[in-house]
Amino acid sequence: MKKIFVILFLLAFAIVLSACAPRRAVQLPPTTPQETKAPEVKPGKKVPEEKVVEEQIAKIETREVETPTYVEEKSVFEDIHFDFDKYDILPNAKPTLQSIADWLIKNKSVILLIEGHCDERGTNEYNLALGDRRAKATKDYLVALGIASGRIQIISYGEEKPLCTEKTEDCWQKNRRSHFVILKEKGK
Amino acid sequence: MKKKFKVQSLKFKVLIIFLCLLFFTLIPLSPLLLKGDFGGLKAEAKVYIDISSPALKKLPIAIYEFNGISGKEISKTVRDDLEFTGLFIYIDKAAYVEGPLQPFNPKNWTPLGVEVVVKGTVKEGTEITLMVSLFDVFEGKEILKKEYKSGRELIRPLSHTVANDIYKALTGEEGIFRSRIAFVGEEKGRKDIYIMDWDGKRMLKIGLKENFILSPRWSRDGTKLIYSSERNRQWNIYLLDFLKRSEKKVFSSKGTNLGGDFLSGDTDFIFSSSKDGNADLYIMSIEGANMRKLTSSNSIEVSPSVSPDSKYIAFVSDRGGSPQIYLMRNDGSDVRRITFEGSYNTSPSWSPKGDRIAFTGRRGANQILVVNSDGTGLIQLTTQGNNEDPSFSPDGRYITFSSDRDGVRGIYIMRTNGESQKRITPRKLRAFSPRWSPN
Repeated sequence: MKKIFVILFLLAFAIVLSACAPRRAVQLPPTTPQETKAPEVKPGKKVPEEKVVEEQIAKIETREVETPTYVEEKSVFEDIHFDFDKYDILPNAKPTLQSIADWLIKNKSVILLIEGHCDERGTNEYNLALGDRRAKATKDYLVALGIASGRIQIISYGEEKPLCTEKTEDCWQKNRRSHFVILKEKGK
Repeated sequence: MKKKFKVQSLKFKVLIIFLCLLFFTLIPLSPLLLKGDFGGLKAEAKVYIDISSPALKKLPIAIYEFNGISGKEISKTVRDDLEFTGLFIYIDKAAYVEGPLQPFNPKNWTPLGVEVVVKGTVKEGTEITLMVSLFDVFEGKEILKKEYKSGRELIRPLSHTVANDIYKALTGEEGIFRSRIAFVGEEKGRKDIYIMDWDGKRMLKIGLKENFILSPRWSRDGTKLIYSSERNRQWNIYLLDFLKRSEKKVFSSKGTNLGGDFLSGDTDFIFSSSKDGNADLYIMSIEGANMRKLTSSNSIEVSPSVSPDSKYIAFVSDRGGSPQIYLMRNDGSDVRRITFEGSYNTSPSWSPKGDRIAFTGRRGANQILVVNSDGTGLIQLTTQGNNEDPSFSPDGRYITFSSDRDGVRGIYIMRTNGESQKRITPRKLRAFSPRWSPN
């Protein structure tokens, strides 16, 4: 009797298991935390709808208004140049800087603006910082020559305002520069 | 006694037969049994594409050309979107046996090796109405059926929405096909901020027309940009609000001010300024208040990029003698260097997944590299021309960058393993500083 029950139990077990066996072997890839539950579309169920809308990005309507405080004059001074990736004042720049200092001492009402520039080979943001350094090194040299620091402003243009765009040593060298602009306050 | 033995022997043979049958049904079930699932009294959720699997097998997909001119554009866009993921093999319609209006029959697809089929029908009027079905060949059933409606002018977002839904059904992940890229473009010497779809379509100029614009950066909710612009001999940081269609100045001072990145919540942002003599990093509220200085060395600190959880900041410093990538906590503490190869590593950009940082490294020319946020796993992704300004897609699977490999600098996209690099801005447009939208 016991044996019959054992056999019947095994039979029931086998039937249950075989009913649950998938029709084909599913090859599961390595375990992943994300498993898709693909919804099975049931007949008669309402089809999901979507109205596609978009927050429109459009042209700007209100701008900041900026007014200049100075009138600019081209300076007669030549640009001074720098070595690649460096901001040290080179020996060949010193005569130009001396003439600038002399001229500023004679012309007390003007302000000097020094622009710092780079060649295109670095990245835009870092070049802006390097241009800053070049303009500042130039300013520091002029201050050491006796010019009041309040009379000198600096600005960096990084690689944004090149004089030339050829990919040559000659062009790159031209772009690595400090450039001088004379500023006069409006109304003076 | 003998009788009993005979009965026992017969039962014994029957038992053996049952055990054999049992054995042959159990073998195919053993993996499921080992999982403790007992053959799945509920059906196992099917995994079509496991995108985290290193040895990825591409999914063969058939996509019908939908009817009409709109239909053709929609199905082509869906195909382009899915192909760019690198997860699919598109099987061309020339091979399809089944007509587009015929009912789906898996027997038409198994010989081609196709595993998933996309069909769609378009009705065009004042609006576009599209009915899309997605079929699983192995299971022999429809797994997605959905109707889409949009105005005719929104055909591209509609197409990308369909691609997103198919992508999600097959991978479980959100698609990025409705995302956008902002960048700086130059026309006739004047610069403007442009916004385009991630695939280069629907390029729109914001209307700034300035001499100098740099580094547009999205807010985390995608409704604003901060950027830097030089006006009247000063570099200022501006906030562009798309909803208000307005520009507002948020920071101005002597020195060079470069907009960096937003922190979580979009109330504060980080930027660099040389107002105190040399470039340092500052955090300030978007209202222009509560300014805090984060770094104060004699070296240059510039180009901050905030981690997705806002806890860490990647930035460039030359405190070690050359520009390299560093990380620090958002209060300025715990500074550590993460790039050690090469003498010029700049422009870090954090993946929205938080695991990796892309940057520009000088390797002869400028190249895009990716490193894990702990400094390990450095890979170089580009080799041609000068490549700069990398930015990750919202799912961390693609990178946009600028490159001059075709002559004029333009915007490119690629997968984060370096595959499928392609230009998405017109050849004649000088474009740089791209940033992928957060959504």
